[in-house]
Amino acid sequence: MAKDVEGPDGFQTRDYEDPPPTPFFDAEELTKWSLYRAVIAEFVATLLFLYVTVLTVIGYKIQSDTKAGGVDCGGVGILGIAWAFGGMIFILVYCTAGISGGHINPAVTFGLFLARKVSLIRAVLYMVAQCLGAICGVGFVKAFQSSHYVNYGGGANFLADGYNTGTGLAAEIIGTFVLVYTVFSATDPKRNARDSHVPVLAPLPIGFAVFMVHLATIPITGTGINPARSFGAAVIFNKSKPWDDHWIFWVGPFIGATIAAFYHQFVLRASGSKSLGSFRSAANV
Amino acid sequence: MSKEVSEEGKTHHGKDYVDPPPAPLLDMGELKSWSFYRALIAEFIATLLFLYVTVATVIGHKKQTGPCDGVGLLGIAWAFGGMIFVLVYCTAGISGGHINPAVTFGLFLARKVSLVRALGYMIAQCLGAICGVGFVKAFMKTPYNTLGGGANTVADGYSKGTALGAEIIGTFVLVYTVFSATDPKRSARDSHIPVLAPLPIGFAVFMVHLATIPITGTGINPARSFGAAVIYNNEKAWDDQWIFWVGPFLGALAAAAYHQYILRASAIKALGSFRSNATN
Repeated sequence: MAKDVEGPDGFQTRDYEDPPPTPFFDAEELTKWSLYRAVIAEFVATLLFLYVTVLTVIGYKIQSDTKAGGVDCGGVGILGIAWAFGGMIFILVYCTAGISGGHINPAVTFGLFLARKVSLIRAVLYMVAQCLGAICGVGFVKAFQSSHYVNYGGGANFLADGYNTGTGLAAEIIGTFVLVYTVFSATDPKRNARDSHVPVLAPLPIGFAVFMVHLATIPITGTGINPARSFGAAVIFNKSKPWDDHWIFWVGPFIGATIAAFYHQFVLRASGSKSLGSFRSAANV
Repeated sequence: MSKEVSEEGKTHHGKDYVDPPPAPLLDMGELKSWSFYRALIAEFIATLLFLYVTVATVIGHKKQTGPCDGVGLLGIAWAFGGMIFVLVYCTAGISGGHINPAVTFGLFLARKVSLVRALGYMIAQCLGAICGVGFVKAFMKTPYNTLGGGANTVADGYSKGTALGAEIIGTFVLVYTVFSATDPKRSARDSHIPVLAPLPIGFAVFMVHLATIPITGTGINPARSFGAAVIYNNEKAWDDQWIFWVGPFLGALAAAAYHQYILRASAIKALGSFRSNATN
């Protein structure tokens, strides 16, 4: 994928620069306004994400419930729900990318932490902000329509009837792998060097990845791939079934993010091979 | 987020973008420039087209008899979001592509447009909306009158507080996206493709419609609600009308404050403290 660029001495050099790994523990960040601004941005973005998406889910269930005056084919349908999740990720990543990196998902934050793109302090604060934002977002939905919220499942993630735990876990692992792999690809410094005139486009494939995964896994788990989303809904809905299955929506996404980080860093970008100084296709990969 | 800009081999921490100066509060000089009136015409026509296409979509959907006929709520949401994308794309270079008094109000609060321009835009948008819905009624009078006229009202089973909350948050999402898409920092980075800024704005409108059509029919645009209320002229639509002005204006106010004072940290910059670096 690397381009050959003539250096000043006529040798081949790279047209991109890998940023240095983020320090594992960067206490100095705590003195910077930009960290707190980023944490606020993650909180607000996750709040808006959960508010709009869970509201869409509840609205769809109301309008398609024939026993309560709804109609067949009422509401936005599963396709509309998938669009709500994917589209919100697109616009929120677009809005927050320059402020916080636009994670809006603890699994994404965890994957980027493993790849040394964010420090431990930033990762932990982001995850806390995301979870609190998710709770508040779902809280708003419940506050605005309490009876509908309780009657129609609260937007909570749990295993659908007919699927076992292994299936649900695998769906979450693979779904999160797709998402986090897309995030790594969209934020790759190689790609940025090539697409430097279109950084606005990075959120689009990320949003589409979320959309596609929802199309595939809504029937299985309601689609988690975002522990904050699952946690916020579980906290506010607070029923035993979502809590019983809740571990799936943390373990699955974190495993998926780990695999994606490993795949991107050590296979596609061959960090391991580079450090060994061997087995590279070219000196400038 | 700021980039370091290199000049003649020297790297200094300069900004690669320029914050435009605040628009004057009252700029009477604008009234003498043709570009101002051209912008008003563009806002009028864009809002007319927006209301015509979207309300025609709503009435057409309701006119279908089978439960699975018509474009569905998803199609309605696409009509609103897609039209905003197209019209912002078309008018951005002429008027800024507001097409919505709440957007204009938010940009006015952030000193991006003057009071004269803001008021002119809002009047043009409302008149355009009335004409757009008027065309729908003219072309399909009976279905228009019998199928709700595309008017925004609070749906049965929802309180006025719920509807107001939905309008506030929905408009916040939209206006926050507008601020992000038009941020001079972003423009500096994406200067080769300003064409793409309307895409997230259209998507924001689409998403909010998916979420709030069941509650209020989705306003988030006072001109859209006002135009439909004027032409449909139904008591319920007028009783609820205040929600579709107060909610969007509060949402726009919150978005402007959030973007200007938290994300862009204008207040902190003014205090000259607690910044990560001089260019933030």
